[in-house]
Amino acid sequence: MKIAYSHLSQYIEENLTIEQISYSLFQLGHEHEIDDGIFDMEFTPNRGDCLSLNGLLRDLAVFYTVNFNQEIYTEKLEDFHIDFENLSESICPQISFLKLEIENIPEIYKGSLDNYFKDLRLNKNNFFTDVSNYLSYETGQPTHCYDADSIKGRLTFQEVNEDKEFETLLEKKINLSGKNSIFSINNEVINLAGVVGGKSTSCSGKTKTVIVECAFFQPEAIIGKSVKYDIKSDASHKFERGVDPECHDIVLRRFIKLVSEHTNIKTMSIISYNYINNPIHRIPVNVQKINQIIGIDLSDSDYLNYLTKLRFVIEDGFIIVPSFRGDIRTQNDLAEEVARVIGYDNISRLEINIPKNEQPNYKDIENKLRYFLLDHGFYEVINSPFVGHQFKESIKVDNPLDSNREYLRTNIKDSLLDNLLFNEKRQKDSVKLFEISDIYTSNSIHSKKRNISIICSGRMGLNYEDFSKKISVKNLTKLFHDTLPSEDFNFKEINRSQLNTKIKNQIVGCELSLDSFTKEVLNYKSFSKSPDKFILYQSISDLPESKRDLSFSVKDYSKSKLIESYILNFKDKILKKVFVFDYYNNIKEEEIKIGFRFIFQSQNKTITDEEVDLVIKKIIDKTLNYDGISIPGLY
Amino acid sequence: MSELIGILPPELIKDRGSLHPINHMKDSIMNLLVSFGFEIVDGPEIETEQFNFDMLNIKKTHPARQMHDTFYVNNKSNLLRTHTSPVQIRGMLEKKPPLAFISGGKVYRKDDDATHLPMFHQVEGIYVDENISFAQLKDLIYKIIYSLFGEDVKLRFRPSYFPFTEPSAEVDILSKEGKWLEILGCGLVNPIVLENCNIDPNKYSGLAFGLGIERIAMLKHGVTDIREFYKSNLDFLSQFK
Repeated sequence: MKIAYSHLSQYIEENLTIEQISYSLFQLGHEHEIDDGIFDMEFTPNRGDCLSLNGLLRDLAVFYTVNFNQEIYTEKLEDFHIDFENLSESICPQISFLKLEIENIPEIYKGSLDNYFKDLRLNKNNFFTDVSNYLSYETGQPTHCYDADSIKGRLTFQEVNEDKEFETLLEKKINLSGKNSIFSINNEVINLAGVVGGKSTSCSGKTKTVIVECAFFQPEAIIGKSVKYDIKSDASHKFERGVDPECHDIVLRRFIKLVSEHTNIKTMSIISYNYINNPIHRIPVNVQKINQIIGIDLSDSDYLNYLTKLRFVIEDGFIIVPSFRGDIRTQNDLAEEVARVIGYDNISRLEINIPKNEQPNYKDIENKLRYFLLDHGFYEVINSPFVGHQFKESIKVDNPLDSNREYLRTNIKDSLLDNLLFNEKRQKDSVKLFEISDIYTSNSIHSKKRNISIICSGRMGLNYEDFSKKISVKNLTKLFHDTLPSEDFNFKEINRSQLNTKIKNQIVGCELSLDSFTKEVLNYKSFSKSPDKFILYQSISDLPESKRDLSFSVKDYSKSKLIESYILNFKDKILKKVFVFDYYNNIKEEEIKIGFRFIFQSQNKTITDEEVDLVIKKIIDKTLNYDGISIPGLY
Repeated sequence: MSELIGILPPELIKDRGSLHPINHMKDSIMNLLVSFGFEIVDGPEIETEQFNFDMLNIKKTHPARQMHDTFYVNNKSNLLRTHTSPVQIRGMLEKKPPLAFISGGKVYRKDDDATHLPMFHQVEGIYVDENISFAQLKDLIYKIIYSLFGEDVKLRFRPSYFPFTEPSAEVDILSKEGKWLEILGCGLVNPIVLENCNIDPNKYSGLAFGLGIERIAMLKHGVTDIREFYKSNLDFLSQFK
């Protein structure tokens, strides 16, 4: 909601800058941004009472002297005889109607009404609707204006539960379905209560006689309607959060005053229906409890002074909650009021000591397995549980985001397979992934199953021992058995024939319940550690990689470590990674053979062969300067 | 030849994997909270409206309960938990105060854009004892944030609204760029929630807090797009070890 700084400051006696008001609003919990003298407010859903100029002023009055000098019409008003029936009194317990006939339709606006449209840069509609919109801004109470000439017949308010057509005053046709609170005449919907009026009875630039409806609707009856029918409505935003049920007389008298400032009123009459009396909410004065909740030492007088400034009434040891504060019912609510006024940041910390908990870590096996997999070069992934395909035991999402996310997965393996293919397409020649997650099926909706799934393909590792070994069921089973002999991972090959890939490497995977592991896992001694500091992430390139291999023959053994150190520490902006993929110490021939793999990739462009050649040439030129080093086959 | 025998091969660099940065962040926060005295409790991701909403004082008409905000399953008889708070409700029903629980894990909301995902992670904590105050809650939050971001970080508390806490607050930290960034929500447990869990609100009070893991991980690692966490891209994952 947008509220102009100038509109607030004109009612505050102190001469405040926009920054001072902004600071106070933040302290009170009213988030906002400021744009060109306008506060763009975002209120918490419990503070419907603040959705107006006066609402904000009521809160600011706890810090400043606020003069609510908005004039109202004070003379006695004639009774308005309207043919109205309320068939849903519990939903609309209070409603008033004002009928006005004016002499001329004003073309120029004055005072607050004029400032409202100019300062907030709003488009005008027609005179009565403009007054109604301004009043909603000023008081927080939405009103609806009917062209009186269009109201022919009995006006009925009721909650209906049937399909009905309705054309809004925004000329949008909607089909009402389910429960809706409506106003109707002769069974024709003329107003979707609390949301938007109808076209057939709306005011126009020619309207001289208006019926203004001012009502309280139970928020529960309005919530969700604007979203359901895709209607942006200031009125529904306010009714959903709750309006003041006792403001009708003042609001309608203010309506009259604003109209009278612009044109002569020929006739006016009013009727108010109060079907159910609003309960008065009283909370015992208990400053000790407030101090205990907040952890402060506030005096009785300061406490009551704050509440009085916020328009609470103190009477016979009770705090009487004003009718516009539907959010205040308990001592904790009052404590929050006090804390806001003091300022959350001004409340001192009080040392907390929670008794030490001696519970064992119940996820020990899970964590051991995670580190076991890290030790073997596996990366942990997390996948969304939403999938598009249904299995026999799939749980269906009643309201999915789309048809590709209509079911909950019944296994982790399929998600990992997608992850594996994604990384293979990104030229990764060793892909090793795992995920641990809860799995739910229609058979066990109330009892989760926690699974671990592992998948891998390509080379066993990117080092000279593992580079030439391919991942296979046999290799992986042996590796896991050698290091964790108590467990059977039951690896299986996953058939590539149905997959969208040309890569031929064997895909190996497994999926097991965590319950299937033995406590022997706890004896595993991991050498991987979680990072002790948080690593700053470098953005990823989506451009293709380029790979080059260089194999050296080292006859002068003293140069072996020299070349290794030079290459492994070589830096270039397009060199992403280098590692030793081959090493052989041929003692008989007195020769060391060492192979390096270079992976190139740029952050911002596809690298060319020429660029890679330049880097490789630099490395070759340097290394071949050493005696006893050659690159067999190099011309 | 004897010289060649003595030459050590190159260091055998075994490629170590890495924990997912979100799980690593979650574990770090949970370990920190365990060191403060909290006990880890766990619960289901498929919940009932009773535990996810009713017990937490979230009214039937609250917008969060609508089909456009919450994923429902099993013909609307169950839902995917929208926060980890129901785990604490179950914990409070099982144990008597004093009690201090934390729960962490996946939660689901019907969002999907550049800054929100339908699945994300939370860690939430609750401490119920006699005479727990907002000033003590502040102390705990300061300790958590100082542990995560260092003692030089500036933070502020803003009044907020959650149906299950009263008073409620949101906590921001000041970024290096001078912008306030929301880090967590917290408050004193609403006495209605204590009553729902058969805990006498006249004798006991409680504090509660919740952190979004992705948000903190993004800040700590400098990740600007939340979706990067869930692409399972090895170039991304291999940076976090």
